[in-house]
Amino acid sequence: MKHLLAVVLSSVVSRVVSPAARAALAAALVVPFASAQDLLVQASRIVIAPDTVLTDGQLLVRQGKIAYVGSDIPAEARARATVVDYGQAWIVPGFVLASGLLGQERDLAEGSLAFTPDLRAAEAFDPWQEELQALGTFGITALALSPSPRNVAAGLAALVKPGSSRKDAKQGGQLAAPELQLVLSLSEAARNQEREPTSLMGAKDLLRQTFTAAGSATQGGPDLAVLRQVLGGTRRVFVHADTFAELSAALDLARDFRFEPVLVGAREAEKLLPRLVQQKAGVVLGTLSPEARLQQLRLPSQLAQAGVPFCFGGRPDQLRLSAVLAVRAGLDRTTALQALTRMPALLLDQQATIGSLRQDHAADFAVFSGDPLDLDARHLGTWVAGVRVHGDAPKASKPAATSSSTAAAGAR
Amino acid sequence: MRILRSHVPFATACLLAAGTFGTLPAQEPTPPATPPEATKPAAPATAPTQPPTPPAEGQGRRPRRQAVVLEAGTVHPVSGPAIENGVVVIRGERIVAVGKKGDVEVPENAVVRSFPTGHLYPGLVDAATDAFTDAGLRGDGSLDGGAQLAMDLHLRGDRDDELAAAGITTAYVTVRSPATMRGQGALVRPKAGGFEVWTGHENAGLQLRMTNGPGPTHALQRQQQLDGYASTFDGLEEYRKARTDHEEALKKYQKEFDEYLAFHQKKKDAEKPKDGDKPKEGEKPATAPAPAAPAEGPPAGERRRGPGGRRGEGGGGGGGGNEPPKPNGGGEELEAALTQLIAVLTQDPPKQDPPKQEPKPAGAPPAQGGAPAAPAGDKPTEKKDEGPKRPTYPKAPAKDPQKDALLRVLDGELPLRIEAHRPDELQSALQLQQKNNLPLLVLEQAYGAAAVIPAIAAQGTSVVLTEVLPNSMPEQYRDFDTAALPAQLQAAGVPFAIATGSARRASLLPLMAASAVGAGLDRDAALRAITLSAAEILGVAKDTGSLQQGKFGDVLVTDRPLFQSDCRVLFVASKGRTEFEAK
Repeated sequence: MKHLLAVVLSSVVSRVVSPAARAALAAALVVPFASAQDLLVQASRIVIAPDTVLTDGQLLVRQGKIAYVGSDIPAEARARATVVDYGQAWIVPGFVLASGLLGQERDLAEGSLAFTPDLRAAEAFDPWQEELQALGTFGITALALSPSPRNVAAGLAALVKPGSSRKDAKQGGQLAAPELQLVLSLSEAARNQEREPTSLMGAKDLLRQTFTAAGSATQGGPDLAVLRQVLGGTRRVFVHADTFAELSAALDLARDFRFEPVLVGAREAEKLLPRLVQQKAGVVLGTLSPEARLQQLRLPSQLAQAGVPFCFGGRPDQLRLSAVLAVRAGLDRTTALQALTRMPALLLDQQATIGSLRQDHAADFAVFSGDPLDLDARHLGTWVAGVRVHGDAPKASKPAATSSSTAAAGAR
Repeated sequence: MRILRSHVPFATACLLAAGTFGTLPAQEPTPPATPPEATKPAAPATAPTQPPTPPAEGQGRRPRRQAVVLEAGTVHPVSGPAIENGVVVIRGERIVAVGKKGDVEVPENAVVRSFPTGHLYPGLVDAATDAFTDAGLRGDGSLDGGAQLAMDLHLRGDRDDELAAAGITTAYVTVRSPATMRGQGALVRPKAGGFEVWTGHENAGLQLRMTNGPGPTHALQRQQQLDGYASTFDGLEEYRKARTDHEEALKKYQKEFDEYLAFHQKKKDAEKPKDGDKPKEGEKPATAPAPAAPAEGPPAGERRRGPGGRRGEGGGGGGGGNEPPKPNGGGEELEAALTQLIAVLTQDPPKQDPPKQEPKPAGAPPAQGGAPAAPAGDKPTEKKDEGPKRPTYPKAPAKDPQKDALLRVLDGELPLRIEAHRPDELQSALQLQQKNNLPLLVLEQAYGAAAVIPAIAAQGTSVVLTEVLPNSMPEQYRDFDTAALPAQLQAAGVPFAIATGSARRASLLPLMAASAVGAGLDRDAALRAITLSAAEILGVAKDTGSLQQGKFGDVLVTDRPLFQSDCRVLFVASKGRTEFEAK
């Protein structure tokens, strides 16, 4: 009964209130996050994007965004700003996790129904949740809070950012984008013996029927409206699939209904590389662990060689280690760093605001004592929207005359 | 007993047979004769541990094993600062020189391997791995302290065997079985496609589990279990005393038995009839010396052969006892000798009461040798006024391999390696060391060690850490910051090593050390933790763990600094032999 009421209310709100208004409403729920004071952030190495590196670089942060980069910083702004000097450290774009539950498995899936594409993960967002606040300790500045793969069509993901867990400045997280991709699931988790579908073929058939219905009708509820957005190319689709059969089923649906899927998990993706390339599919990998099979550790480099866009995913606390293990198994560093930053932003269609430190992007960055892809580099701090959410404050000093230069990625 | 003429042919046959095969020793079986052209057993597949002995002078010199010179952009000896453009010279199994190129003399005809941009390190030392063990051994809950893991190691045929390719040239093999006492781990030297157990280090540590792992347990429940470990060393001194007493008793037995034999031999010699006198009926003939009286049991470790009594040796019936008597004047003397021999063979054993039937303790070995001691009060066969009593063979105490191992731990010959996770478990381990004055204690997987570091440092305990990769702990241990632990141990002066814990992670050993650097550990200390410090904890630092003259030629060459994630292994040598080379 409770669920039915929630569905009805959600349906009414989505019909009555425009998307822009809904976003504004969501933003209003967020405590103002950005710092009022300009910040001049400097370090011996600033990775604007994996292919753009500043040595002895500077960034000007204003209202939570990157206002200027390097030599573009006006002298007046430079003089007024508070200096944040990280000395010999490396500054990289904050890591982006393209899919995560933050431990809210139960609240991010409607267990009694398998098909709920219009439910929104933003409805379950808790800005003070411990797992959200901990993201900063792992260098993660943005996460796509995703409905659970327990449902065949679980709902819409939301982009969230961690707040500050510092004792001297506690601050809740923020909901950066309330409606992102539609999350589907053909994985074993979606096959439930207590309700339909109970099999992979049942799950595939359910999606096929609903996509067909959405394509052939103009009326229908909010669930079909979401599917029509997918068919119209205005909404991305993430599909949880691990095995060859599951991946094949996902690619079949994508081919038949003409959308470009992002496959989450994709444990056996190496068996379908040509299809992934042909259908322009993306991949969000699961956690890579030290005990993983060699084939699993080599998958990122195989995807890179085949030209399949991919990013690292899985457990937030293992995100950096996953990238390190992939480098150890043969992936080049530039691609690995890209798979932590810009690529997940691309797959989430959020590359205009996160994933790099270009002008007008969010001032979300992580600071390390060296290359973050080397484990001997100490994680010094994490900043979100120009606010330090993790790590100690560096020494403030007068800004030196900049001599920043741009270098191609890979020049170490 | 009357000697019958019908016995003569039988006795003759016996004498001839004895003469053919020569004198039999008194107690030990005759080793089989080795034909002069017998070949030596084939050399084992593993490399020999000792270099070949050069021939004696004047017999032609065998060529010395060719020297190998390794040049690298940077040499990291570990025992000293890094050397730019360094050189390591290896002859045979050992390093003969380390230094800067140009400062080190390069032997003539040496094989030179050059890695201009490479980094040369000592071969890595993995202080804990499960390599070369199978699932059966790892899950064996019936292991005890006497189990020797070295006896059950073998290749698994998968990448878990590739320690050498990862640069590991020494490894301590153990298993985390569910048993409490997990046997004795072994030191091995990984090789291309295999391994060899390090001679002399087959039993390199005694493993004890003092934890139930991360599963939910109540502190009181854990404390009850931990209290049970306090009795591990109980009864050891009594066991040691029993064995020592037995050894003393054996010596005493041997001495008394020798005296007993000597007395009776002397007596028999005195009873020898004069030449020409025929032996009276019933008397023993004089031509052949009387054999020694049959013993109740041979000395420890020896077994008797044949029926009846011991075969005498030397003049006591051996020199004459097993060889046919030389003919000295015809058939009558021969017949007399044969008659005497028959008398010996058919002599009744000394009378003694039948042994008491005493229940044997479980596991007690069978009594060695012959009849058990005569019960108290039994009269000796000899007359009271004729010589020493026949001594009774001392009964050996039941052998207990686990107690033997524990005694070696008490004596400082074998380290005790305890797996303990939580602070209360670690405290119990330290109390066990203190109570029993254990010289060598190594704590494994000491995740909660931060809370007890002062006690660890005070007791001189070493630590081996395996879970130092970031955020690698199970949920129940999330509060233990194991990545930061190495730095804390270093600050307290506690000897520690970083180990893989699993063959599957062999190639990640450098990354584990790098992770510790990222959490605050000094870079040199991190390198030491996977080389020299690990060798020190394993007791082999004089042979490996650093690039120093006299140590084994165990080296690893990489294409870039070891702690970088994309570091590639280019070359690995173990005792100067190439075990891996990148294509």
